[in-house]
Amino acid sequence: MSYITGPEIVKYACTCGLLKPLPELYFCRHCSQIRCSFCLCHAVDSFFCGKCSENIPSAEARHKKNRCANCVICPSCQQELSTRVASKGPINPDDAKSAVKKSYYLSCHFCHWTSRDVGIPDQPSATGCWPERENVHINRLQEVLDVYQDIMLSQQQQKENSKKKRGKFVSYTDRTGVTASALRRRIGIPDIPHAKIKKPKPLDPAIAKSEVEELPEDIFTEPLKLMEITTIDQRLMQPESQPLTVDKLFPIHKQLTIKRSLRCRTCEHNVCKPEYNPTSVKFKIQLFAYYYIPEIRFVTVEPLRAGQTSELIIKFTNPTQHQTTITIFDLDLEEQEKYVEEQKLFDIIDNFEQAMSLEEKQQLSLPSLVMSSGSQPSSMYSLQSRQPSVIVKPRKINQAVNCNVAIPESTFILPPRDDAAEYDDSSDVHNIEDDPKLVKWRKSNKAFIKLAVTPAADLKIDDEVVCGFTMQHIYTNVIPAIVENMPHKYDHKVRVFFRLGKIVGSE
Amino acid sequence: MSTYQSLSSEKLTVVLDIGSAFTRFGFTTDFAPRYIIRSEVRCKKTNKLRKICDYDSADDLYDMLVELIHIIYFKYALISPKDRPIVIVESLLCPTLFRETLAKVLFLQYEVSSILVLPSHLVALASLANDTGLVVDVGYKEAVVIPVCHGLPILQAWQALPLGGEHIHSHLKSLLSSSNTGIQNLPENFLEDIKVRCCFVTKSSRVEQLEGGKPEYAPPPDVVYPYAGTESILVTGKVREKTFEILYEEDNDHLCLSTMILDAILKVNMDLRQKLAENLVLIGGTVMTLGFKARLKEELQKQLNNDRYKVLNIHEFKFHTLPCKENYAAWLGGAIYGATEFLSMKAISKDFYLREKHLPDWINLKDINNTVSRTL
Ligand SMILES: Nc1ncnc2c1ncn2[C@@H]1O[C@H](COP(=O)(O)OP(=O)(O)OP(=O)(O)O)[C@@H](O)[C@H]1O
Ligand SMILES: [Mg+2]
Ligand SMILES: [Zn+2]
Ligand SMILES: [Zn+2]
Ligand SMILES: [Zn+2]
Ligand SMILES: [Zn+2]
Repeated sequence: MSYITGPEIVKYACTCGLLKPLPELYFCRHCSQIRCSFCLCHAVDSFFCGKCSENIPSAEARHKKNRCANCVICPSCQQELSTRVASKGPINPDDAKSAVKKSYYLSCHFCHWTSRDVGIPDQPSATGCWPERENVHINRLQEVLDVYQDIMLSQQQQKENSKKKRGKFVSYTDRTGVTASALRRRIGIPDIPHAKIKKPKPLDPAIAKSEVEELPEDIFTEPLKLMEITTIDQRLMQPESQPLTVDKLFPIHKQLTIKRSLRCRTCEHNVCKPEYNPTSVKFKIQLFAYYYIPEIRFVTVEPLRAGQTSELIIKFTNPTQHQTTITIFDLDLEEQEKYVEEQKLFDIIDNFEQAMSLEEKQQLSLPSLVMSSGSQPSSMYSLQSRQPSVIVKPRKINQAVNCNVAIPESTFILPPRDDAAEYDDSSDVHNIEDDPKLVKWRKSNKAFIKLAVTPAADLKIDDEVVCGFTMQHIYTNVIPAIVENMPHKYDHKVRVFFRLGKIVGSE
Repeated sequence: MSTYQSLSSEKLTVVLDIGSAFTRFGFTTDFAPRYIIRSEVRCKKTNKLRKICDYDSADDLYDMLVELIHIIYFKYALISPKDRPIVIVESLLCPTLFRETLAKVLFLQYEVSSILVLPSHLVALASLANDTGLVVDVGYKEAVVIPVCHGLPILQAWQALPLGGEHIHSHLKSLLSSSNTGIQNLPENFLEDIKVRCCFVTKSSRVEQLEGGKPEYAPPPDVVYPYAGTESILVTGKVREKTFEILYEEDNDHLCLSTMILDAILKVNMDLRQKLAENLVLIGGTVMTLGFKARLKEELQKQLNNDRYKVLNIHEFKFHTLPCKENYAAWLGGAIYGATEFLSMKAISKDFYLREKHLPDWINLKDINNTVSRTL
């Protein structure tokens, strides 16, 4: 469990440059790239109530303001309320057989709030239509909205008419000779000084009064009954009424929850799509990196001393059905930085092209980056594995390392995962020739690897030691549609970072 | 099913007012926000809550806004932001870094189709169906006064002071620690609850007694406030009454809440002054405090005797009563504007943004200050 909840010792770098533990990463099989929740596009898939597990169609969810019609939460402590029976005895006391008339009220197990506290009458049915508070200003506000909608509509029509006449528009950035009218336009308000004169339906503006709400006189003498006054959180839970006292707290319908699907922004494929049924924890599509990228766990490290080499042991596990070969390379953060710059460059070229096509060549000076980048712009064009223009740009990996990892000369093999082998010790014979300097021990699809790590010489006691390397593994692509234009197997690289612990002393 | 057709999800447009303390979220055509949540996100590294306004760089702000917007869409709004417009209500004094970063997050990270940015002081008048008013917003970080005349914010008259919830909380904290020995580092949310449940803005007639510690001063009853389970804190009557006094304590430049309002009026044309004084609109969470409006009226009246304000020739102040709670008045204005054709006419489209890489700067105060004063 500590692997899931504990400190994140081993982190993998996503394509976008963020570091995350492996279970939080996805792997787009179409792009063969690691993705994470930050660089994927999220979409709402289905709605359900977390209490009654009812699936709610989206139109109904909107209609019910994203709340469950049946479940309510406590306005006092926000826990779920339960319905209690209050039997009132038989309808006809003389007739022993007559049905007991039941009524219901709401009660909170946690803070003992009940719907009776606030004077809500008991309801005849368990799924009772608990009274809702009405906005007292609703009629006036609806009138105001109607008038605004009318005004803006005529505005828009006028604008369209004048556009036909003039065919010219005032640039936002034109700052010379701003008139009140231009300023209006810039601020984004209608260009008619007295828009209200033109309004199709008369509406009286609100009238200000000189009287204001006075401070209640008894505040200076009456003891404050703290328990009757709401907290700020209780008030804000009911934005419309924001009751000051607890006797005005009404039960709140429970907010619905959603299932989300995640889509790769580069290729538009889903990498995660849940099943519709709210009680199902399964997925229709689940391209978790965990299923494709070898997992590395920290096993042990010798005490870390500044400038001295310690032995680090880590465990590699192959999650796939295919044998893979692992090669360890240098972290090479410069390369990642270059990649980030390249992506930015694409952006600039995109812009440049757009700008050119807009025939604003005169004003536009070439961004210096294109000129000074060393690589010729023309070759950049040929590089275009074009991406959609709106995409989360990768960023530089923001993790410093202060410990050297001796890069092993040899590689090692991870056999495919074999679920049956887990239960069968005898069959654990493999004819793999390992470099004994590298592989300490192996079993089925797992291998324990020894690495020599040397914390930087200038580290002090208690400094956190972080190291990292690039892992290359052979990824076997199994989606038939893609096999044609992509290699079946190829090398995939990912940067992995380890928080090894603290320096314990120089000697 | 067909009854819901008119509410098709296409028409749902999110309206957002991200304040320094609270974020109001809801949809256009609604008359109240669905949620008012704290403008905070959990820091991935430390697992502690961090205020959005405490960002330390543009990248840091970007990441926090990504998180906040994610929560708003996928926990509360329950719609996908992609290819939908969004309405943002923001202060005219909103830092450029903040608005540009927010636009970047919305367009690049969430791929919204367009953003309608509305100045909070201006749209706060919408629910009153009024186009002229002196809008006073007292929120968390600051109090900002901007006159709006015939639908045009008079930017050169703006006034701002760091008077708001944050300042009040720290004042309350120091008052409490002097009457409760050994109690320090009370968490801010706890202080806020003491403030909203126990404290109030007192009458100006009691101020002299309160400040002078006169023997005839009869404080309101003390409150024993439960703290950390079994312990408690004494909130004396004096503290209850004194907490909000900093709003009217003049600073080194003799500025306070009441002078700000009068200074703003002083900066507009003579013939507009009386009209503004008769159309005071108070918005922001802090103005909801018990006794706030009554006291403000007293203080304004008192300041009129000040030589500096005699020239105003104002005799009476009038206050509007909003058809909503003051802490979401600006949001409501955004919801009204956003429900009209204004959205399609004035929203900044993704295409425009991707081309220009920034928002049109309608609030470049330096420019506007010069030009407005010339044109008015
Ligand atoms: N219902 C209420 N009753 C009393 N005080 C409130 C209420 N709601 C909010 N406040 C107080 O108002 C302050 C927040 O006001 P508001 O929500 O207008 O600020 P904001 O918009 O987040 O901040 P800013 O405008 O400075 O960026 C907080 O200090 C809070 O304690
Ligand atoms: Mg605000
Ligand atoms: Zn990512
Ligand atoms: Zn339910
Ligand atoms: Zn409860
Ligand atoms: Zn992809």
